[in-house]
Amino acid sequence: MSAAPHSTESLPVLSAGIRSFTYHGDGLPVLEGIDLDLAPGTLTAVLGASGSGKSTLGRLLSGWLPPGTGGTLRGFLELAGTRLEFGAGGDPRINPAEWGRHVGFVPQDPAAVLSTVRATVAEELAFGLENAAVEPQAMKAAAEHTAALLGLTEFLERDPGSLSGGQMRRLAIGCAIIAGPRVLIMDEPFASLDTAGTAGLARLLQGLVRLGTAVVVLSQVVDAPLLAAGTWVVLENGSVTGSGTPAGLQAGSGLLPPGIRASGGAPAPAVDHAGAAHADRLLPRGGAGVPALELRGVCFGYGTRGNAANGRTTWRRIRGGSTAAHASAQVLQGISLRVRRGEIVAVTGPNGAGKSTLLRHVNGLLRPTAGRVLVNGRDIAGEPAGEAARSVGLLFQQPRDQLFERTALREVRFGLDRLFHPDEAAGRALEALSAVGLAGASDAHPAELPASGQRLLALATVLARKPAVLALDEPTVAMDGGGLALLDAAVRSAAGEGAAVVLVTHDLDYARAVAHRVVTLDGGRLDG
Amino acid sequence: MSPSLTMPAPAPAAARKRRLLEILGAVAIAATYIYLVLNQPADITGGPGSASALIALSGFLAGAILLIVAVLPALPASSVVLIPVALVLNIVLGQFVGSTLVPFYLDAIGTVLIAVLAGPAAGAATGALSSIVWSFFNPTVLPFAAGAALIGCLAGLAARHGMFRRFYLAPVAGFVTGIIGGVVSAPVAAFVFGGTSGVATGAIVSAFRSMGDTLLAAITKQALISDPMDKAIVFTVVAVLAYALPRRARLQFPFVRRHRVLAGTTPGQDS
Amino acid sequence: MRLHPLTSLAAAGSTAVITTAAASLPLSLAVMGAAVALSARSGTARRLLPAAAAVLLPLGLSLLVMHGLFFPEGRTVLAQWGMARVTAEGLAFALERAAQLGAVVLALLVFSFSVSVPDLVAVLSSRGLHGRFAFVLASTLTLLPAITSRVERIRQAQESRGLVVRRGLLHRAAAFRLQAVPLVLSLIEDAGTRTAALEARGFSNPGPRTSYRAVPDPRGQRVLRAALLAAAAAAVAARLLLTQAGS
Repeated sequence: MSAAPHSTESLPVLSAGIRSFTYHGDGLPVLEGIDLDLAPGTLTAVLGASGSGKSTLGRLLSGWLPPGTGGTLRGFLELAGTRLEFGAGGDPRINPAEWGRHVGFVPQDPAAVLSTVRATVAEELAFGLENAAVEPQAMKAAAEHTAALLGLTEFLERDPGSLSGGQMRRLAIGCAIIAGPRVLIMDEPFASLDTAGTAGLARLLQGLVRLGTAVVVLSQVVDAPLLAAGTWVVLENGSVTGSGTPAGLQAGSGLLPPGIRASGGAPAPAVDHAGAAHADRLLPRGGAGVPALELRGVCFGYGTRGNAANGRTTWRRIRGGSTAAHASAQVLQGISLRVRRGEIVAVTGPNGAGKSTLLRHVNGLLRPTAGRVLVNGRDIAGEPAGEAARSVGLLFQQPRDQLFERTALREVRFGLDRLFHPDEAAGRALEALSAVGLAGASDAHPAELPASGQRLLALATVLARKPAVLALDEPTVAMDGGGLALLDAAVRSAAGEGAAVVLVTHDLDYARAVAHRVVTLDGGRLDG
Repeated sequence: MSPSLTMPAPAPAAARKRRLLEILGAVAIAATYIYLVLNQPADITGGPGSASALIALSGFLAGAILLIVAVLPALPASSVVLIPVALVLNIVLGQFVGSTLVPFYLDAIGTVLIAVLAGPAAGAATGALSSIVWSFFNPTVLPFAAGAALIGCLAGLAARHGMFRRFYLAPVAGFVTGIIGGVVSAPVAAFVFGGTSGVATGAIVSAFRSMGDTLLAAITKQALISDPMDKAIVFTVVAVLAYALPRRARLQFPFVRRHRVLAGTTPGQDS
Repeated sequence: MRLHPLTSLAAAGSTAVITTAAASLPLSLAVMGAAVALSARSGTARRLLPAAAAVLLPLGLSLLVMHGLFFPEGRTVLAQWGMARVTAEGLAFALERAAQLGAVVLALLVFSFSVSVPDLVAVLSSRGLHGRFAFVLASTLTLLPAITSRVERIRQAQESRGLVVRRGLLHRAAAFRLQAVPLVLSLIEDAGTRTAALEARGFSNPGPRTSYRAVPDPRGQRVLRAALLAAAAAAVAARLLLTQAGS
């Protein structure tokens, strides 16, 4: 090394040689054979499908998953000239605070970063500086500077818990960069950002790279800003299967695994798993009878009467404060929609237009203040949501809220015994699992499946009941390429068997690709 | 090689000081209890009874605070972050079970959960802090801090000795914990409150009083009726929750790994 | 004048201690009145009174039933039905205890409903060991509404999977499992992430800290705090001495 004549600028600030990393109690390593060198002033993209080990790698590099407490590492980490060897006995224990001064990390779920003990955005930003005993004047200046960089200046005095998803992500980035780390690692930073948000974040990253930060983006989607990266590293099943410049790895070379989605949000062309005919864009015959789902003049506003489905308020009576009683604006104003058997209807619209609110009327979680909801011609007004669930399957944005069993198979079988003969229930459960490509994971713990797998499992629990109406809330979020293809096939095949499908998405390309009909919800009304 | 990127070894002197505080806290609680039971202060119902109230209050509270001072700074950050979660679970899950399932308090689910995952010290701190933080909204729970710390500590000890490895042992451990906890908390109810805070429990105490029991005896008997059952249910609920956790989530807790707290989780091969 | 959080804490605490030590009905009633008046003036009475009632009504009722009807030590019998004897001593005891507890509860609640929690946390954090206690307090108060709304979200998700809460112990236990398991799983997962985030930002740093939020602590208030604590200690000492002398 001493022979290298050129400037130290190109020497890596953070290097890793991971022979293997294994979580406690796991038989097999999650990471194997990874060598990384991160030089100052570079942008590196680590691309891999859901479950490829990206997040584990990011946490390991940033000291968020210290070897020893989190799992067993064999190999080395080298930061700012200090090399730590692991796996040879007497492993060093990483000091996460010191490591954090050099390496900032932004996880997938930015809300989990909040300290929960600071009352304003400014104080939240300053939390790390307070712990390093920075003088108040310097802290104030740093918080204001960072907020300006992230476009958070107007929110400095706001409660961090009241921020929207996009603002929360910017705050999480601010907390990571306020101390000026030399390495910044971000996990899926572009997920669920719209075009303007993506462009703004890309500009911020360029600025940091220019100032000499080594920036790493972990992603399952080749977002537009990643095309400008210096290096791509492809991660598959915990190992590096390729690395090089974007140009060298781009489409056509076949080096990118199918799980990595192309930029722009459009799904990979539907792989025909379930044998769904491509002619299914033609509407199925026999739609002349009663529509499977019909909304007639549905109106709804929060704060008006009847927003709680069954009036149980035991959970909320703790601090005596009512939280939802202020916004009494009408969210839905006379929505009428008919969905026939076998038809796929996509509802799009801007954030906050009430798409999820609309979807919650389909099974009676929310009750219209005026108008009616009919499933197979029957008004569901008097039915508890749990009863309506027999004929309406609703899939939420957060699949983990719906999962509670110890294995994927038990999860899908849950409740089927009450509806079907035990033998039939077992058959249906296995069938539904294989329809979403999880037949091999039937013994896995639902909470340990990757994000894509959790959503597919939640879908399987719904499909196993063969509902007349299938309602999906933002099904594409956090899905990798493989998962999206499976979702696509499963939805088409359910429609092919006669289910009426309503899906809500902000992703217009996806809506056009999958649906027979796209309608837009805006200002409380449906067009299209 | 800059040493600052790695952790220094913990200083043994600090550990000795903390051990001393722990012992002092336990002694304060035990001494207060013994004094109150042996002396059976005559003024309990005869006069305003404030001296015994002050002794009960300050002895138990001082003990609980000493325990917190000893334990809290030494806990790993992962346990400290879980304590607020446990405090909210104490209230939220307790209310849910209490309002739908059975007429018990069930206000220790979070405390026992932490004790099972992070050990007796974390359990004791969680119990004491739970009473202190909730006294922000309901000051009457403050004097029960020592009893709650005892419950958390006993739950952690039960977990360490394998009472959560067999599903049927958890309620048994809870039952025993309830007996001890109930007996220790009874003087607080008797001397500080002169009764119990609930109408149902008050009726049971009245029944014993009508048979001529002293207030302390009546309240202790009432505690022996309701507390063991209550804690047996709490321990069972916690066992259900702990076994629902995925392997990786359970094994992230060193206490669970080291003492093989839950069945089916083999200790890490090389830790 | 804006009170330093520790000054109002000292005031509430010493009021509670002195009332307990004095054990005099007129003083207890006066403290209750003063606490209610104070909270009405600062505009917190609408939140404080329901919270106080939720604590004090069942407690008072329980005391009244317990001692009003059954007080074996009582001599002056006012009425008698079978086992139950209403005695003057019993009623007086119940009344005194209820007033004493009411005064303590109201005094402390005036503090908790008027204090600015961020100020309190800032003050505690800058004082060494209390940092972790401040974390537990503030984090609990932040998480409470967040977790209650998450519970609501999980209930909706489970209803969409067919959860109907029916009567009967087994049904309810099953419904509880359906909602508690996803709740606890996600909370423990989030806590893991939060731990890593806090550690990376120096949560466990042993060294000195600074505070972004400045809370002024004038000299007069520091003197006042010392005086309040001394008064409380004196009241306790006096009560213990009097008891000694009396027995």
